[in-house]
Amino acid sequence: MCANRMTVVGQRLERLDGAVKATGRFVYGADFALLGTLHGKVLRSTIPHGRLIRIDTTRARALRGVRAVITSADVPTTHYGNAIKDQTVFATDTIRFVGHALAAVAADTIEIAEQALQAITVEAEPLPPLFDPEVATAPDAPLLHPDWQSYVALPVIAREGNIAGRSRMHYGDVDAAFARSYRVYEHRFTTALQHAGYTEPRAASAAWDSTGVLTVWSNGQLPFEVQTTLSDILQLPTSRIRVVVPGVGGGFGGKLRIGVEHFAALLARASGRPVKLITTSEEELIAAHPRQASIITLKTGVSNDGHILAREGNVLVDCGAYSGSGPGTGAVALQCLVGPYRTPNLRLQSLAVYTNKVPSGSFRAPSGPMANFAVESQMDMIARDLGIDPLEIRLRNVVQEGDLGPAGEVLTSVSVEECLRRAADRIGWHQHTPGRGKGIACSWWMTTGGSSGVFIKLNSDGTVALNSGAVELGTGALSGAAQILAEELGLGLEDVRISTVDTQHVPYDYGAQGSRTAFSVGNACRAAAASMRKQLFDVVAAQHGVSAEDLVLRDKCVIVGNKSIPLAEIARAQYTGGGLIAHGSALIPPPAYDSARVENHPLPVWNTPSFHAHAAEVGVDPETGEVTIYRYVVAQDVGFAINPASIEGQIEGGVSQGIGQALSEEIVYRDGHVLNANLTDYKMPTSLDVPEIESILVEYPSGAGPYGAKGVGEPPCIEPPATIANAIAAATGLWIQSLPITAEKVLLGMRHKGKQ
Amino acid sequence: MSRVRITLSINGESHELEIEPHWTLLHVLRDEIGLMGSKENCLEAECGVCTVLLDGKAVNSCILLAALCPGREIVTIEGFGNPEHLHPLQHAFVAHGAVQCGYCIPGMILTAQSFLDEIGDRRPSREEIREAISGTLCRCTGYQKIVDAIAAHAAGRGGKRAQAHVC
Repeated sequence: MCANRMTVVGQRLERLDGAVKATGRFVYGADFALLGTLHGKVLRSTIPHGRLIRIDTTRARALRGVRAVITSADVPTTHYGNAIKDQTVFATDTIRFVGHALAAVAADTIEIAEQALQAITVEAEPLPPLFDPEVATAPDAPLLHPDWQSYVALPVIAREGNIAGRSRMHYGDVDAAFARSYRVYEHRFTTALQHAGYTEPRAASAAWDSTGVLTVWSNGQLPFEVQTTLSDILQLPTSRIRVVVPGVGGGFGGKLRIGVEHFAALLARASGRPVKLITTSEEELIAAHPRQASIITLKTGVSNDGHILAREGNVLVDCGAYSGSGPGTGAVALQCLVGPYRTPNLRLQSLAVYTNKVPSGSFRAPSGPMANFAVESQMDMIARDLGIDPLEIRLRNVVQEGDLGPAGEVLTSVSVEECLRRAADRIGWHQHTPGRGKGIACSWWMTTGGSSGVFIKLNSDGTVALNSGAVELGTGALSGAAQILAEELGLGLEDVRISTVDTQHVPYDYGAQGSRTAFSVGNACRAAAASMRKQLFDVVAAQHGVSAEDLVLRDKCVIVGNKSIPLAEIARAQYTGGGLIAHGSALIPPPAYDSARVENHPLPVWNTPSFHAHAAEVGVDPETGEVTIYRYVVAQDVGFAINPASIEGQIEGGVSQGIGQALSEEIVYRDGHVLNANLTDYKMPTSLDVPEIESILVEYPSGAGPYGAKGVGEPPCIEPPATIANAIAAATGLWIQSLPITAEKVLLGMRHKGKQ
Repeated sequence: MSRVRITLSINGESHELEIEPHWTLLHVLRDEIGLMGSKENCLEAECGVCTVLLDGKAVNSCILLAALCPGREIVTIEGFGNPEHLHPLQHAFVAHGAVQCGYCIPGMILTAQSFLDEIGDRRPSREEIREAISGTLCRCTGYQKIVDAIAAHAAGRGGKRAQAHVC
């Protein structure tokens, strides 16, 4: 059978959309506009918390070229949201953050729309703001959502006042284990708000047709979620809302939740014209969906030889004004707080908390880097205290094949020891360069589940159209799925045509998120290919009087003995019967687990986890505190490398984002206002800040993924903060327990240490 | 505001335009002419996705007034190879896996071309390439495969200067 030849999968092939992007011909959401479109703008709050008294739009409406002005009075008073429906399109009676949408305008030009925003007057009475998530959890804290009990939420979510989600994992007897531990270590870590940093701002165009059907051209990651969210907002059945994603200029989780599609839709309805919106950098930094800031306390008891005996951990994620992705992010932090370590006794809790700041989202491996920073920094502190090498203490504790994971699931295809050894070997773990330090960290991460469906169609030229509901964000995951489809059908990769996502035409997909796209769409492609093969073989077998079992697919032909029948010929012949189409779907059930170990966790057990280890060598300038990364090594278990070049690209990009989180990126708030709402002061790594990254692809095949593949996209950004923190500590003896580890923090820390 | 008449030479073609004096070149390219390959993001010359060649030099078109451009040769990504006939530098980007979401890539390619034209026949070091592209943000790739692509293209120029050719 063709599936065993492996001429397409496993190869470093050029992605299908490479040339069209390199020549500037690819159409992104931000490029899309309808003829005669109006331009939309959103008026955003300048105070962090207040009672909204009045919005006067009279002067704005009177401006020449203004076609619509809308406020909460003009839209249905419905709530929407992911885990909790706690959000409205505009502030209704309460303003909850600087950046909160108050009104929107559609005008002939962007300039007129901006003038119109200036002409709107807002009357509000300031309320005492709540910025500190720890204060927000106090029993006497004022409630930011007094009506929280009226919100519709997923049943699994446990809520109470300012706490938008509380999850727990526990087993064993933690207190008894602490009591008999050789030492117990307790540390507190903090991490900062980080923007996803996609280079294409969020954008949307919307138009209503004469029958009341809405079409939205979005650059969001999840067109089906945009569709259902718009359905909630507009009180329309989903079938009357069509979401098209022309192309996406990066998402990284920051474009999971709805962006500006709802404003475009409402303005288009109010004006009777198509409307386009595109966000500014300032709006991105004050009102997008960044990675939550977090506070983590971690208490670990160990034996005298460094074996973990028990762990207690608490993570607080700051959701901001609305829950966004916060409850799920907090919950997933629990698996990360265990780390890939044998932990006989465990007690973990996460809280997702409302404050008067930007509502946060799901940036790549949402809570992974925060929790890993805590776990792996502490691991090194323990190693240092006990006089054990940091690599050695990890090797003594890592999970092995057949061990139980934190939810009591059986872990298989466990590769963390190999990842650690290979990363350590590559960086030369035991060789030391004076003035430099090496750090190592490891982790695990899920391949997110959810279903995928694909339609494939045999074109009259023998190529195959792949219709998937998963958006190509830029990762190359769809080209990876196409490689699988090509492999299964005896085609070249260039013989697969990937369609643009349009909810009217494509089957449902859980979406381009959670390291699942190539994995899940790839599995659906295998199923569709099997169906297509059967149809082709049945047709040819009947025509040639042979058994279908004697047929193979090769080089765009069905091979019958010594005859090759081109697929194009079969496709054209079958047009009389409506052509050949096939459907395939995939849904991997989660592994069995012990529900007694988990409370209120939306993702209690991980599908097909991957394992990985990172190692870095850094130097620290004693005069400035500036950190230079000299070498960076990643050993990541990908199960099976569908396209090694694409995977390296994921690793290099993920590490780059992780370096940003480690050293420079922070949305800085003071008194509820963002101080660095521009790309000059919000510091993402440039080509001068990122070292050459050495990738090692480890392949421990999974049982569930196509050809044994595991999820790839998110893990590379998990370990960099911890790896770099540990390398800085190795160079200076100083652990900075708060991200980002700016030169200022390092310098102050070194001075403080020098005085002791 | 009163509009002014200007003539711009873009990708070897002459464009007669009536523009507002404060319009940027990026606005004119995208919204007046419909050349969408020059991308829009920060609009304050921090991210580099709007980069075009002005008389062969890379510039941020988001902060350049279109009214200052008559008499100058403007090359956008649309004038620099096409999907059927990639410029060798574009081919290097695709072949080395330097393209992911691709939103920064037009600006990155034109920046690289400007740099390579500037240094002549010399083969640049990876550090020099990193310096040259440091004004363009890429969030997907970590820059490594972009540097690979530019280095490989520079090495393969065979001592001849690659010119931005107008299609």
